[in-house]
Amino acid sequence: MESNPVAVTELQLGPVTLSGTVITTWGIMLALAAVCYLSTRRLELVPGRWQVVVEGVVTAIEDAVHGVLGEAGGPVLPFVGTLWIFIVCANLAGIVPGVRGPTDDLSLTAGLALLVFFSVHWYGIHAHGWKKYLGHYLRPNPLLLPFHLMSEVSRTVALALRLFGNIFSLEMAAMLVLLVGGLLVPIPVLALHIVEALVQAYIFGMLALIYIASGIQAQQLSLGKE
Amino acid sequence: MQLDWTTLVLEILNFLILLWILKRFLYQPVLRAVARRKTLIEQTVADATKQKTDAQTLEQQYRSRLDAWEEEKTHLRERMLGELRAERERQLVELQNALEKEREKNRVLEERRLQDLERKLGDEVNARGAGFVARLLERLATPALENRLIEVAIEDLRGLSDEQRQQIDRAAADADVPLRVITAFPLPEEQRRRIEQALSTATGKAVKPEYAQDDNLLAGLRARIGPWILQANLRDELSFFAEAIRHGHTD
Repeated sequence: MESNPVAVTELQLGPVTLSGTVITTWGIMLALAAVCYLSTRRLELVPGRWQVVVEGVVTAIEDAVHGVLGEAGGPVLPFVGTLWIFIVCANLAGIVPGVRGPTDDLSLTAGLALLVFFSVHWYGIHAHGWKKYLGHYLRPNPLLLPFHLMSEVSRTVALALRLFGNIFSLEMAAMLVLLVGGLLVPIPVLALHIVEALVQAYIFGMLALIYIASGIQAQQLSLGKE
Repeated sequence: MQLDWTTLVLEILNFLILLWILKRFLYQPVLRAVARRKTLIEQTVADATKQKTDAQTLEQQYRSRLDAWEEEKTHLRERMLGELRAERERQLVELQNALEKEREKNRVLEERRLQDLERKLGDEVNARGAGFVARLLERLATPALENRLIEVAIEDLRGLSDEQRQQIDRAAADADVPLRVITAFPLPEEQRRRIEQALSTATGKAVKPEYAQDDNLLAGLRARIGPWILQANLRDELSFFAEAIRHGHTD
């Protein structure tokens, strides 16, 4: 068993070393871009079966975002939707033989967590302006500022580690179970993998949505109290 | 568990690129299509609602109009029936009057026709009576009857009133033609003398008449002095008789 499977598929491109995670991500991006282009190339008013599936995915994301943010969820929809779609695909990529899921790499989950971290502030500042947004860290009492900052950092780290930990541990556990149980367990393990992939993607995206919503609505609540 | 900063940065870039791709090729077109369909459905529903409202309004208008027409129809029918009754009554009265006039006219015409018939019958009876009398008198016309008639005429001349005598006298004075006496049979001299005597007495002066004979008189004489005429013969009497019967006189 390879202790560091990502390093096996890395690619040296000049001074830059491209890890297997990046290459797999590109593959996922290419597949998603092709599917999206082909699916939305000719949209009809009376949809076909595949168009119904595509519209169902998008409207489900839209309903979830609007359910949390209401009409203000429009700008947030692409970010959260992309998180869901990408993480689902990245998690499920692990069940393809010979491919490791990119989300068992802490570098990717940390990058997504950083994007969530910055997006919370981006949407908050975009909604209310940077002064008012940053002002909510000083409320209800400026003494709570360190706790606000600790909360921001810890939840970002937790976001990255949760996804990484779950997927990595799932793959390690599946590998151990396969070693112990042999050929009797692949199907239950694959089913568990699929469920876990969907659940973790949902949790990551929903947490990101809630963080963004809290960044927007906390400001609204503090303004309402004033 | 390693943290590769190159991978981290590249994954961030990858995610941003993927975000743009999905936004460009998934979210925007799908949301536009859904919004377009939603707009179309809303427009269709709005059109259907508007058509339904219009239809209900039109139905209401048609119902109101139908009710108004029904009411107007009933009103017009009642008015027409009233006018028909009045016209029927009027025409019945007119017909009754026309029938009454026609009946009166027919009655008058019938009366007139009966009168004419009665008159014709009377005339025919009179004519037959006159004819019968004339035929009878023709058979009875004899010189003896003529003498008797002359005697009657002489008696009548003798019985004239003074006024009548004066009239005869004026007629004899104004007459340009001589006195003329016509008889049906030849007059004997004795009779001529008596007639001249009677006429002289009636006119108050001696007269010498001209004598003539006319079988048409049947019997008797006819004497003419200017406009005055003495008729004492059967023919003139028959004429008087027939004329008197025609006019309903018996004398």
